[in-house]
Amino acid sequence: MSTRKFSIFRYNPITPEVKPFMQEYTIEEPPGMTIFVALNKIREELDPTLMFDFVCRAAICGSCAMIINGKPRLACKTLTSDLKGTVTLMPLPVFKLIGDLSVDTGTWFRHLSVKTKSWIHSSKEFDPNAPEDRMDNETALEIYEAERCIECGCCIAGCVTANIREDFLGAAGINRVARFMVDPRDERSKEEYFDVIGSDEGAFGCMGLMACDDNCPMQLPLQLQLSFVRRKMVSFGLSIK
Amino acid sequence: MLVQKILTRNPKAELYYDLVELFTGITLVGFLWTHMLFVSTILLGSDLFNTLSKSLDDYYLSYVGIPFIVLVFIMHILSAGRRLPTRYQEQKIIWRHAKMLQGTDTWVWVFQAITGAAIFALASIHMFVVLTGWPITATTSAGRVEAFWWFYLVLLLLGEYHAGFGIYRQFVKWGWFPRKPLGYVSKLITVIILTLGVAALWVFLQLGGA
Amino acid sequence: MSNYTTIVSDVLVVGAGLAGERAAIEAASRGLDVIILSLVPPRRSHSTAAQGGCQASLGNCAMGSGDNTDVHFADTVKGSDWGCDQEVARLFVETAPKAVRQMSMWGVPWNRVVGGKKTLPDGREVEDPKEKEGLITARDFGGTAKWRTCYTADGAGHTLQYAVDSVVIKLGITVHDRTEAISLIHDGETCLGVVARCLKTGELRIYLAKSTVIATGGYGRLYGASTNAIINEGNGMSIALNTGLVPLGNMEAVQFHPTGMVPVWILITEGARGDGGYLLDKNHHRFMPDYEPKKKELASRDVVSRRMIQHIRKGHGVDSPYGPHLWLDIRHLGAKHINTNLREIANICKNFNGIDPVNALIPVRPTQHYSMGGVRTNIDGQVYGLKGLFAVGEAACWDLHGFNRLGGNSLAETIVSGWIVGKKMAEYTLGAAELNYQYNNVQGFAKEQQERINNLIAGKQGKENVYALRKEMEQTLMDYVGIFRNGPDLQKAVDNLKEIYHRSLKIGLQSSGKGANPELSTCLRMPGMLRLALCISYGALTRTESRGSHAREDFPKRDDANWLKRTLAYWKEGSDLPDLQYEPVKITELPPGDRGYGESSASSAEGKKQN
Ligand SMILES: Cc1cc2nc3c(=O)[nH]c(=O)nc-3n(C[C@H](O)[C@H](O)[C@H](O)COP(=O)(O)OP(=O)(O)OC[C@H]3O[C@@H](n4cnc5c(N)ncnc54)[C@H](O)[C@@H]3O)c2cc1C
Ligand code: HEM
Ligand code: HEM
Ligand code: SF4
Ligand code: F3S
Ligand code: FES
Repeated sequence: MSTRKFSIFRYNPITPEVKPFMQEYTIEEPPGMTIFVALNKIREELDPTLMFDFVCRAAICGSCAMIINGKPRLACKTLTSDLKGTVTLMPLPVFKLIGDLSVDTGTWFRHLSVKTKSWIHSSKEFDPNAPEDRMDNETALEIYEAERCIECGCCIAGCVTANIREDFLGAAGINRVARFMVDPRDERSKEEYFDVIGSDEGAFGCMGLMACDDNCPMQLPLQLQLSFVRRKMVSFGLSIK
Repeated sequence: MLVQKILTRNPKAELYYDLVELFTGITLVGFLWTHMLFVSTILLGSDLFNTLSKSLDDYYLSYVGIPFIVLVFIMHILSAGRRLPTRYQEQKIIWRHAKMLQGTDTWVWVFQAITGAAIFALASIHMFVVLTGWPITATTSAGRVEAFWWFYLVLLLLGEYHAGFGIYRQFVKWGWFPRKPLGYVSKLITVIILTLGVAALWVFLQLGGA
Repeated sequence: MSNYTTIVSDVLVVGAGLAGERAAIEAASRGLDVIILSLVPPRRSHSTAAQGGCQASLGNCAMGSGDNTDVHFADTVKGSDWGCDQEVARLFVETAPKAVRQMSMWGVPWNRVVGGKKTLPDGREVEDPKEKEGLITARDFGGTAKWRTCYTADGAGHTLQYAVDSVVIKLGITVHDRTEAISLIHDGETCLGVVARCLKTGELRIYLAKSTVIATGGYGRLYGASTNAIINEGNGMSIALNTGLVPLGNMEAVQFHPTGMVPVWILITEGARGDGGYLLDKNHHRFMPDYEPKKKELASRDVVSRRMIQHIRKGHGVDSPYGPHLWLDIRHLGAKHINTNLREIANICKNFNGIDPVNALIPVRPTQHYSMGGVRTNIDGQVYGLKGLFAVGEAACWDLHGFNRLGGNSLAETIVSGWIVGKKMAEYTLGAAELNYQYNNVQGFAKEQQERINNLIAGKQGKENVYALRKEMEQTLMDYVGIFRNGPDLQKAVDNLKEIYHRSLKIGLQSSGKGANPELSTCLRMPGMLRLALCISYGALTRTESRGSHAREDFPKRDDANWLKRTLAYWKEGSDLPDLQYEPVKITELPPGDRGYGESSASSAEGKKQN
């Protein structure tokens, strides 16, 4: 069986005296090996201190994003056979580092949800005995298209703007607002939406660098979502006093 | 939000900035490409070039158009220039990031920022020189190009790069076209304009030498 | 002074999956102060992985017309092989349609009825009525008489979890993610909260509350091949079991899903068969109609899984380095359908197997999938044995599923039981006396955990390697406590697991164990996981009948005379086997009878003969 070399970022905040460094490991590479399999092998056989995150290992929960050979990717669905040479793994930038490859995306995304007020704003009371409000199936699918984001953070980590501007909500944030704007159940006014995203923290902060569009593992149509929100914000912004 | 920010916040400032960026960007690209077409009329002969220059002058186009363009130029620098990272650490982050990510569009942007800054200096000089040497004729132009052909070549390359990718990015940002075909179209136009520009420079050089 | 940060609230919910968050909302909207703990950010909980859908008898689509709560009730009871609590099932089916509509208000973009004629993949013509257009539609799932499974394309769990979490955020409920409950705190009568370990820093904290809710999901990862997320290690069940006071119900009831993808064991949703997918053998023969002429691929999960293993044992499996498997064929559904309604499946096949299901067959084999068993509660979600302790969702044995859960019934269970139990729990909390605890007692629980950690780091008890033990446990369950079970195998499993359990008490760390050390986390969980594994195998060994997913080759028939009862497993301190007790199963409406999938008890004996 062939072997594969990994070069992995190491830093543990509880020992700040040890500066960040890259550590190398070599393991056997069976066919069909993913980074998920590889990292667990390294932890179980070579280095039990190595920190990284996986939950679903099926590319649906968004836990395992990291920089793989320079690109933000989901580690669980990256096959080593698709990579050349030494596999270099770095934690996602922008998010708070917990240790090694593990970063705190949870706190960041919760902040995003709070900031964009990501819930259905409705004045309706729930009546358990009434039938549901009708909705066009097309609309339902359109909402789902934006809701497919798994909060992995690849779009944030890859975006230069998000890397230099702490308050920028990034593609995930703008896409999140798009999800509610297309939802007829949400009764928010133009003013409210504009207030949330009509600034450099949101729609106007984006410079069109498209790293988000290139790197989204869910292949969300981010360019379309970002420009949709930008145009909406202009029309909302110009029509409100 | 912090008190000082609440007190000074204009909720629509960033919207207006973005619109100014959009408007000035498009206008400048439009201007530059037209300008290049006009300049390359030299390919069809000095007479045509002179006639064009004169008729633009006669119809006051130059007197209205030029101050307008200068104004747009300044507004562009203010609106687009606000994106330029000013802090050293930010610049370092961007470099590291662009290198690591190899994201094409990110690199394109880095160069756009650099070319923008360079154009700021070069185009200002160029405009100053042309405007102080009024009017524009094939002979004066040929003389300037012969003396400073390298200056023009650099300005041509930087200007076209900046304009070509600038317009691409605007279309991408505003979602008027899907990304991929847009890239091809803007590259194609840029190549055409560059060819015209180089050819025009060559003709000017020949003229100047004559 | 206390050495540990102590955090007090009215309600403490352990687990931020659908069930936990739904219950938390109920308490918070009644003005209670709620804290949720979770191993991971809520939206990474395993609930988001559910793709297929959620059952509720709305009866809106053509194939669901005529559906009602009675039909849903009958399906659920038959599915459970009469192992479920019928009062609970009744309450559940009555509430499910309301819960699904409520989720619609909260933001789930359920797929809707589109009026007009359409041809199903098997050639049948149906016409969805125009007057139902825009109402929530449903797809077909195994073991259901009507199309009843509401869905959002292939992301039912994802959209449900995001909607419920959005309400949690709206209500401002505190969530401490990356925090693991490692022990319950109680005074022998009442639960007072938990000791938790911060997975960012390794710090121990004490959480005290009037009510504690266990909503920690399933234990799939005890098995080597499971469709579950890797955090599904049955934590919540083991900390409840460790009290010695709380029983786990029906732990031997383990569901295997017919279509885990070989060799990564990622689930291919039942929706694939619901939408018309076939199972093929090595000769590309569609074999399910031979066994189950009526329901074919869509008999209940336990039946389909057994038929597949039976067929493989007859030599019709496809050989592979990972053992024999069968094929799932969805090619005939067409590229458009696959790339929209089943897009997630297409992605999984491409990413993890390099195949495109539009033109290739998917290798599948039955894989551990769901735990029917769990922390035993009454109909209000109140846990047996300790006051102020509740359980919901997959972690609980409420007992809606008996010995086999229907696909789509567990997402529905999370939102229904989260609602109902949440309400009961809130009422209890509002009526409860002020939190009353002994300082020393509470500190004692935290110190005990601290001591375990210190011992592991020092290697005081021994030097056993946790990862090696883990592998042995996984393998033992896979080999001897699988789909078909028998006495000698189960005995072997119990013996092996006992031995591994003893070794697990002698684990020593290889690394320093400082901070959020991942090895330490696993070591802390290991003995608890082995106790669960023993509850499963010993319960299975003792239950000498076949019922639902528990299929004994040596006792192929359901035995209602002796076994119409629920297993309750207790763990007495110092013991190395659970103490099994039994309680009768409540039959209120539907007396035990034939499940009606064509598989009579006699034919399940065939599995043995054909061996
Ligand atoms: C691949 C797959 C597909 C499925 N598809 C369907 C389907 O289509 N339809 C259907 O009805 N059902 C489906 N199911 C089943 C269903 O998804 C689950 O049963 C259900 O989501 C469980 O929800 P839960 O809230 O009980 O637990 P989970 O969603 O698993 O949540 C558990 C929570 O507990 C937390 N936790 C665990 N231990 C601790 C601890 N010690 N301390 C603190 N927090 C802890 C976790 O962080 C997590 O937040 C599927 C299951 C799988 C595996
Ligand atoms: C003839 C001259 C110029 C033309 C035709 C031009 C054109 C453009 C266009 C079309 C854009 C895209 C704007 C957008 O994305 O909204 C742009 C961006 C930019 N320009 Fe210029 N520009 C010119 C001169 C300058 C100068 C002198 C500067 C100097 C500071 C400059 C700096 C920038 C910067 C930094 C950007 C990037 C802004 C962003 O990405 O949002 N440009 N330019
Ligand atoms: C507003 C006023 C402007 C006027 C009147 C003007 C006019 C001219 C003229 C007359 C020439 C021919 C050479 C010469 O006579 O020097 C020329 C060439 C050129 N100008 Fe301008 N220009 C203006 C602005 C700009 C700007 C803003 C740019 C920015 C990028 C620019 C880029 C160039 C280039 C690259 C050439 C060389 C063309 C070639 O390849 O032949 N000009 N301009
Ligand atoms: S938009 Fe895409 S890349 Fe960004 S967080 Fe969501 S899934 Fe990840
Ligand atoms: S990479 Fe960043 S700048 Fe905009 S286009 Fe994407 S958010
Ligand atoms: S582990 Fe869930 S996306 Fe990779």
